[in-house]
Amino acid sequence: MSATPAPTQGAPAPSARIAVPDWVRGIRPGVALAGLVVAFFVVAMIVPSLLTSHDPYAVNLEETLRSPSWAHIMGTDQSGRDLYARIVYGARESLLIGLGATALGMAIAIVLGTLAGLGNKWVDGIIGRGVEVMFAFPILLLALLFVAVFGPSVTTEIVAVGLGTAPGYARMVRGQVLAVRDSGYVEAARALGHPYGSIVRRHIFPNAMRPLVVVMTLGVGQSIVWASGIAFLGLGVPPPSPEWGALLNAGRNYITQAWWLEVMPGLAIVVFSLSLTTLGRFLQKRLEGGISR
Amino acid sequence: MATYAEPTGGATAIGVKPRRGPWVKRIAWRVLGAIFVLWAAATFVFFVQQLLPGNQATLILNEQTGNQQSYTAKQLAPTEAKYGLDQPVLTQYWDYIKGLAHGDLGKSYTQHKSVTSIIGEQVGPTLVLTITALILAWILALATILFTSRRRKVVSSLGSGWEIFSAGLPYYWLGVILLVVFAIELKVFPVQGGTSLEGLVLPALTLAIPLAGFIGQVTRDEFEKVLDQPFVTSARARGMGDLAVRVKHVLRHSVLPAITLSGWALGALISGAVIVENVFARPGIGNMIVGAAEHRDVPLVSGVVMLVAFIYVISNILVDIAYAIVDPRLRG
Amino acid sequence: MRTHIAIFAAVAMAVLLAVGLSACGGSSATGAGGGSTDGSSSGSSSDVPGATAASTNVVGTEGATKPTTTPKPGGTIHYAHEMETPCLTGGWIQEAYIERQYADSLVSMEKGGKIVPWLATSWKTTPDHLTWTFTLKPGVKFTNGEPLDAKAVVDNFYAWLNPETINPTVQTYIGEYFQSAKVINPTTFQLKLSKPYAPLLPVISQGYFGILSPSTYKGGAETVCNEPIGSGPFIVQKWTHGQNITFVRNDNYNSAPQNALHQGPAYAEKLIWSYVDDPTTRYGSLTTGQSNVIYDVPGPDWATAQNEFEVQQYITPGRPDTLDLNTVNGPFKDQKVREAFAYGADREAAVASAFEGKTPYNGNGALSQTTPNFNANLEDTWPYNPEKAEALLDEAGWKKNGDGVREKDGKPLDILLIYGANSIITNEGATVLQDLQAQWKEVGFNVTLKPLAFAELFAAEYTKPTSYDATIGYWTSPSAGVMLITWRPWNGKEPNAYNSPFYNDPHLIELIEKGNASFTEADKDKYYGEAQEIVTKKVAAVVGVYTQETTLAVEPNLKDVWLEASQGEPVFSDAYFEGEG
Repeated sequence: MSATPAPTQGAPAPSARIAVPDWVRGIRPGVALAGLVVAFFVVAMIVPSLLTSHDPYAVNLEETLRSPSWAHIMGTDQSGRDLYARIVYGARESLLIGLGATALGMAIAIVLGTLAGLGNKWVDGIIGRGVEVMFAFPILLLALLFVAVFGPSVTTEIVAVGLGTAPGYARMVRGQVLAVRDSGYVEAARALGHPYGSIVRRHIFPNAMRPLVVVMTLGVGQSIVWASGIAFLGLGVPPPSPEWGALLNAGRNYITQAWWLEVMPGLAIVVFSLSLTTLGRFLQKRLEGGISR
Repeated sequence: MATYAEPTGGATAIGVKPRRGPWVKRIAWRVLGAIFVLWAAATFVFFVQQLLPGNQATLILNEQTGNQQSYTAKQLAPTEAKYGLDQPVLTQYWDYIKGLAHGDLGKSYTQHKSVTSIIGEQVGPTLVLTITALILAWILALATILFTSRRRKVVSSLGSGWEIFSAGLPYYWLGVILLVVFAIELKVFPVQGGTSLEGLVLPALTLAIPLAGFIGQVTRDEFEKVLDQPFVTSARARGMGDLAVRVKHVLRHSVLPAITLSGWALGALISGAVIVENVFARPGIGNMIVGAAEHRDVPLVSGVVMLVAFIYVISNILVDIAYAIVDPRLRG
Repeated sequence: MRTHIAIFAAVAMAVLLAVGLSACGGSSATGAGGGSTDGSSSGSSSDVPGATAASTNVVGTEGATKPTTTPKPGGTIHYAHEMETPCLTGGWIQEAYIERQYADSLVSMEKGGKIVPWLATSWKTTPDHLTWTFTLKPGVKFTNGEPLDAKAVVDNFYAWLNPETINPTVQTYIGEYFQSAKVINPTTFQLKLSKPYAPLLPVISQGYFGILSPSTYKGGAETVCNEPIGSGPFIVQKWTHGQNITFVRNDNYNSAPQNALHQGPAYAEKLIWSYVDDPTTRYGSLTTGQSNVIYDVPGPDWATAQNEFEVQQYITPGRPDTLDLNTVNGPFKDQKVREAFAYGADREAAVASAFEGKTPYNGNGALSQTTPNFNANLEDTWPYNPEKAEALLDEAGWKKNGDGVREKDGKPLDILLIYGANSIITNEGATVLQDLQAQWKEVGFNVTLKPLAFAELFAAEYTKPTSYDATIGYWTSPSAGVMLITWRPWNGKEPNAYNSPFYNDPHLIELIEKGNASFTEADKDKYYGEAQEIVTKKVAAVVGVYTQETTLAVEPNLKDVWLEASQGEPVFSDAYFEGEG
């Protein structure tokens, strides 16, 4: 059991039973669990020292490659560093890479999607083709092209993942903008003679962006998975950084001798992205409910 | 590692909504669009290459000799001439596009050979891997759905839970675990399988499992909707067995969205192949491109990227055709 | 509702998986280190560093023993190597390994350093050591049928130094000594040098000096790179990039070196030389029987490999993996800071831990312990002594601030340490650096590790005094004369990318050149010995860490794979499968 991040141990979210406000009542154990996992990693990102007393960089040559135990719940690595502490401290860089890439992808998508949704046939057509072109570049290959040209770095990772995820978001933004643009209340505002600019600003834009919160939630997990894949290939953050992808890359060499070095960071990524997906879906349901009014 | 987090992410959005109309015209239109996409992709790739810092001829020479030195302009001149680096950028661009039209992807900086021939040597195993994985993913996904959808709550929850979980599994992690468990510890499959059939199993499974989860998620929703359709009820009323109903009627109607996704998935699968080939030391363009990126062999990396863009475009046209076949309403 | 349960099921699966893994993996955990390294690696002379090496010219190598049974020819040897090189010839040790398979050199080095005949059956030199006359074995042919005569050999010398087909390693060795080469008769050629060069024979015994057919050089750089033709025991049949090289037996081979275990064609019909970067997969390919031999036994598997396979280790002579400190720019301009850096971390313990006992520590920063004329007195020059390190830094004016990092004039003691990732510094080497980094931090150095990808090294972006504070790397060589390569001045007129500490010292060069012109061991020991002392101790420009090496693990029924003595190039021409036909 020591294998999973701590919060999953205290799983069955008691708050769901107490059920005070309405919005809490709908939260199921799976979602609560996911919420706890995400909360755990957000804490890890902001104040990692709350979650572990070990120094993630402290080398101890007397205790290298120890399997998980009470002293080191996820074991130690080839330099005797506490793996749990490294995963906790690695959350910051990993999450920032994920957030950065998603933010970049989303920013590109909002610009392109909004223009396409509000522009005339030609603008829409050109952007549509452009997005189609972007789809032709799978994220990882785009990343490798960038690595070949600019050399491996965190920036390369973020830009590649951001650009790679942008076209999907762009289509979605466009769809949202179109839906809102053609909706009854925008038509009504137009009929009332509101200036177009203010309609866009006050009605179309905010309404179209709302569902993107959900997509962001889903996207961060995915971006982390992609970015750590690049690092896994040895083209990401260099050691001794405890970034999760870097941990995966370092762990490969010890997979037969010290499985935990590969399994645990991978598990952190899987559990975290799965939890984000869960939360995202939950939010999506809630928001859809809200919009259908 | 397209851990396929959520269909609403990149994926479903891609499916070009099938337009009605004579399908010949539609396909012709698609081909035209495809050529545009390839041209734009090539332009992008070309200009990204131009951003390469440092002197390309120095890089080529040092790679060749295993050196780390600088050269004088005179020493660099022959290499620059050989790779056309002494030409103005627009001339280089025109030559590049012209070359592409003839299937010429340029010359590798490290192997001093035509990129097209290098890719030609390596692409076979990758195609075998991705196509096997795609088929395997469909089999896994359909089997899971047929047997778990709308069954007892526990069963169907396990089924869809598995789909969510497996769709989120990163290739590198799944691959390493399968490798250690089945190849190194249990010795059921070879560790270094080359292009042999036994060597294909673990890499293909690694690629297929997350994709199956993803296809499953998309198809399951559709499948359950169709199960409620009147014609299904009437088929049951005619005394048709449950499995027969599911296979003959429901499946056919519920796989449409997933077929669209398969076209997209092929691109994602090649991304995945990069990781999987790396994990299993399997030959192919995926394994090659990582080395090429490390060596800054830009023409080789670009060549693979262009090839994948080409595959993406072709597979989307094929998906269109598949759509027309599965959905009779679209037949012209 | 249903989806919530599904999600719960998914999360539960993740947790179950974790539990399952931790349950089944617990027993396999082993403590680090402890495994004996020298026990079963038969014949490795690496275990006595220093003691004998300096005086008796010992080169650590796997001894070739005469076969006990009559080998049966046939079979395919599957060899899993690590790094793929851009070319099949060239100046890299990795390329020398390959060249050894398809090309012959003029002479061969025996374990112990003695030079024995190969393509050259005999040689003599004039008393001034400026003219060397080599007699070649008659009737040798390249595998394309061209004759390997004096003309071909002379062509090789000129091709090595021709800018079109240059071999940079050959050039750095003999470029400044070579004057001319000429044909005397079809089996005799003469080499004229501009000054005496004692390391000549050991140097030309290396794989880089393999003799290629004149037509190969006529084909230009691409042919030399991709389709070289030699006269060796194997012929390059096909090179599938990213995968393997297929060698087939040269059935007409009759020019094995004198120290080979047998004359005539190789026993094995084929040699598949595949590239498996990932150490786990490489070792796995051996344990599952897909490879018969693997290169670079991974540290984590070193101990178990000793029990299950024939393990060979060759400690490469030349410059070991050494920290080069930038003597002209940044904090290391100050010798006290360099000394503090050397004292500041326990290099010996870090090497022992990261390599799990496999690879020896090498304190001498100039030469590795198996190099002839190695100065063993320098091994303990800079023992781990954090107090001394702190005192030296205090003296140099670097004071600790609140974070424990030292500062001087408001500038923190930041050290940028660059290294070539994977191919040059292995994973274990990178672990050593991380372990040292943590200890340096305690005495107040803020060290940043920057692994460089291949291309970054090759783009020559990191060869300037402003590029780094420290770097680490090796330069393999069978002779102490390699110091001339690594310490030639790096001034603007003749930049020397191999002089990584940027240390220019005419007296040092004079000593090394005297060593290169010495033909007695006593003289060599004296001159080379003092040169080593200057760079390691007197100016502390280099700080030794560990030795470069070749390790092989060979499956038990494959006999007589051996590592040659000049560079640890694996030799497969004597190898045969026991009990197979």
